[in-house]
Amino acid sequence: MQQHRELTERQINTQLLNGALATPAWWKWAVIGLGLIVLAGFSTFGYMVNRGLGVTGLGRPVFWGVFITTFVFWVGISHAGIMISAILRLTQAEWRRPVTRAAELLTVFSLITALTFPVIHAGRPWRIIYWILPYDFSRGVWPNVRSPLIWDPAAIGTYLTGSTLFLYVALLPDLGNLRDRTTGFKHGLYTLLALGWRGNSRQWRLQTTAGILLSALMLPIFVSVHSIVSWDFAVTPAVEGWHSTIFAPYFVIGAVHSGVSAVVTMMALMRWLWKWDNFIRPEHFDALARLLIVVGTAWFAFTLVEILYSLYSLEGQELAFRDMQIFQWPWALLFVIFLITAFFIPVPAWLFKRVRNSIPLMFWTSISVNIGMWLERFLIIVPALSRKQPFVYVWGSYHPSLVELTLILWSLAFVGMNMLLFARFFPLIPLFEQKESQAFSSRVQIGRASVPAVLREREQE
Amino acid sequence: MASHISTAPDHRPTFQESASQLIARGRTSAPASPARLWIVVLSAVTLVGVVGVAGRLAGGFADRSAWGYYAAVVSFLLSTAGAAPMVSIAPTLARASWVRPVTRVSQLFAAVGVVTALLYIPLVFALPPLVEDGVRRRSIWFGAPSLTPHLWGTISVLGLVFIGLALLWSSSIPDLKAVAETATGLRRRIAGRLSMGFIGTDTQWKALRMRIGVLGAFYFLFLVFTHIVFSADFAVALVAGWKDAIFPMYHAMTSLQSGLASTIVAAYFIRRFGRLERYIELDQFWAMSKLLFATSLLWFYFFFSAFIVFWYGRTGSDQAVIDILIGGPYRWAFIATFLLSFVIPLFSLMWNPVRHSIKGPTIIGSLILTGMLIDRIRIYAAAWSAEGINDRYLRFVPATHWPDPWDVFVIVGAIGAAALAFLLATRLVPAVSLWEIQYMRLLTRPVRFLKGHAFIIAKPD
Repeated sequence: MQQHRELTERQINTQLLNGALATPAWWKWAVIGLGLIVLAGFSTFGYMVNRGLGVTGLGRPVFWGVFITTFVFWVGISHAGIMISAILRLTQAEWRRPVTRAAELLTVFSLITALTFPVIHAGRPWRIIYWILPYDFSRGVWPNVRSPLIWDPAAIGTYLTGSTLFLYVALLPDLGNLRDRTTGFKHGLYTLLALGWRGNSRQWRLQTTAGILLSALMLPIFVSVHSIVSWDFAVTPAVEGWHSTIFAPYFVIGAVHSGVSAVVTMMALMRWLWKWDNFIRPEHFDALARLLIVVGTAWFAFTLVEILYSLYSLEGQELAFRDMQIFQWPWALLFVIFLITAFFIPVPAWLFKRVRNSIPLMFWTSISVNIGMWLERFLIIVPALSRKQPFVYVWGSYHPSLVELTLILWSLAFVGMNMLLFARFFPLIPLFEQKESQAFSSRVQIGRASVPAVLREREQE
Repeated sequence: MASHISTAPDHRPTFQESASQLIARGRTSAPASPARLWIVVLSAVTLVGVVGVAGRLAGGFADRSAWGYYAAVVSFLLSTAGAAPMVSIAPTLARASWVRPVTRVSQLFAAVGVVTALLYIPLVFALPPLVEDGVRRRSIWFGAPSLTPHLWGTISVLGLVFIGLALLWSSSIPDLKAVAETATGLRRRIAGRLSMGFIGTDTQWKALRMRIGVLGAFYFLFLVFTHIVFSADFAVALVAGWKDAIFPMYHAMTSLQSGLASTIVAAYFIRRFGRLERYIELDQFWAMSKLLFATSLLWFYFFFSAFIVFWYGRTGSDQAVIDILIGGPYRWAFIATFLLSFVIPLFSLMWNPVRHSIKGPTIIGSLILTGMLIDRIRIYAAAWSAEGINDRYLRFVPATHWPDPWDVFVIVGAIGAAALAFLLATRLVPAVSLWEIQYMRLLTRPVRFLKGHAFIIAKPD
């Protein structure tokens, strides 16, 4: 709050539309670079479809590898949007304002990316149709609607629809703004998208109500999405380490940890690339880091309880699995890296104000979290399947192939490129939020000090 | 922008009015005569509880099932009164201003911790050791010495009580100084000694705030730890095959819900009978009811996360857990809990007029407390009557264990003793924190924002 600088509405418009109304020099090269990786990813996918899943490291008994890991990872990242936008909006956290759009956008693109991974994983993507239609009409063999694997696409699809709507509703005032500042084709496009936005009081009231309603409606979906993903694993008693009642909230809190960290990464990049120092300030990183300390610590507590209770059963197979996951090569190394990067480096570091207010340090610690969170999903999925099971006579270790690694890289580039393309046409920081933030901020004189203050609605009997 | 904000008349009590009303003649906010009457009544009820405990002890520890209701009561107090101080801690850490008038109300529940600790002592002796007849039972302590759960249970409960009392004392120091300056006799001497020479220097205020922050954080960590230990040793470990990683978190989360409910109910009575309507206003009930709504949703989420895994797992132990806790002899308790802790709060608090009232959240809070008591009976009465502690999973689901007269005495007496401890604490420490009220007055200003009523809230670093 102390770093807040009052800007005129004109300054806000000029500075925040610098990405949408002009092309920064670096933008083209960044898009080309990411586009090449995306192209390589599509080519690799084509190669994999042509040759079959044999070009991946998947094989008995590990049929779920890095594709499913990456699917869970991106679903986790998608929790950023609703956490930041909906929850912080409902709790009236002022510092959310410059972050909301980027977080919502990250949700949409990460969900789209997540949805592609089960398709990639299927090996023969056209067979995805059997998720909806019966395997065999004549014998009436239908997909098992009681399976979380069927709920997954429904939940993610609903979340994607809701998130897109959420993003779009919040974009309307800015679209009106862009419409009034452009000509030609762009003007036509923005006119179409702005849906007749004029900024009259009725439209503002509707927009605000829609925002609050969507926030409230999206929350249960937000929770259900990763819970259902967790039940893909948890309802399977046959695989050690998976049949755990804590999985749903554990996955959700992990997703929030990962998603909010991704928002921090994005904010740092936005500040550096678009020079939005007046809008994305150290105080925002400080607030996000405080939130992450709570979320990260809660997630770590869930991790410990999850491990504790898996050992508690004292069942031989469960103990053997944990022994393998935590103490045996190469899982032990990954496990240590996972703990260090997801918790022991970032969370203690965020306890220091100097770290919380340092944008480079926040950038690198947030990346560290997501390296750890990807490994967490990998360590849940792969070692559990790698263990020798009764009645499985072929087993071996799993190594992700170059095809799989390329597709992981593709997913990162795909999200990044889409974000950049979006930023070329729409503002990444909502203009109206900035203006509203200024209208709702004030200063209070306490003794000789002038203290920053915010406005809050007062409930009266 | 600031032109939308205009000054509004300030009807809040002045500094002088607050000082005289909250610490009138050295007394606390509760008028003396009704408080004395209640002290007499509650002392009588407490005596009934003492008789109940004596009767329970006379029966010895051989029959474990006889201690089920006793354990439920200890857990109930640990959950309701133990979690109530969190209502002040969490919003304070989040710099929420609305909480100031009710911080003391929630912290006063730390005094109830003394009752919890006293009741806990006999329960430790009723808990079976880890090794009986040379056979070690399953526990979260694995190969530790036989009395490890007893030791850690005691450390956690006593630690929580100690930190809670330290928090109450620390946050009361400025008010105790005010009490000492206006009171006479014993109260003056006690308050004077407890205020530790506080005269309100800048250094003392800084130290005070830091102490409250640190104790608050410790209290939260200890609360979670206590729930993990207590729920594991006094419930889960007593039922063969009950492996439920989410249960400690369910225990902690439901305690937060009931801690909130306790604070709402206590705030209502203090407001009404202490004639403090100008201090505890609708804002506080409105904010707390929103949190109550959120925790009620979480109640269902945590319950369902466990239930679906058991339901789908269909292993012998999964089905036994469902039988003993949900669908079997304690089905009545489960249905009552489900209605009182989730269905009724959800469908009433989702309604704006209920949240936007003082009686609405109070009634819902009372129902939640009732639901919590039944929930703890469901869990602990069932767990303590389960047999075959060393079996792989529960082979015989025990019939409903109904309370005997000693159990009824203990339940009634424990609740009476808790209320008595709370009331006695308010005789020394103001039930509404004077310094928090003064601080709130200093940092907030009532204003008009366009046509609405609002507060400007200063946010100093």
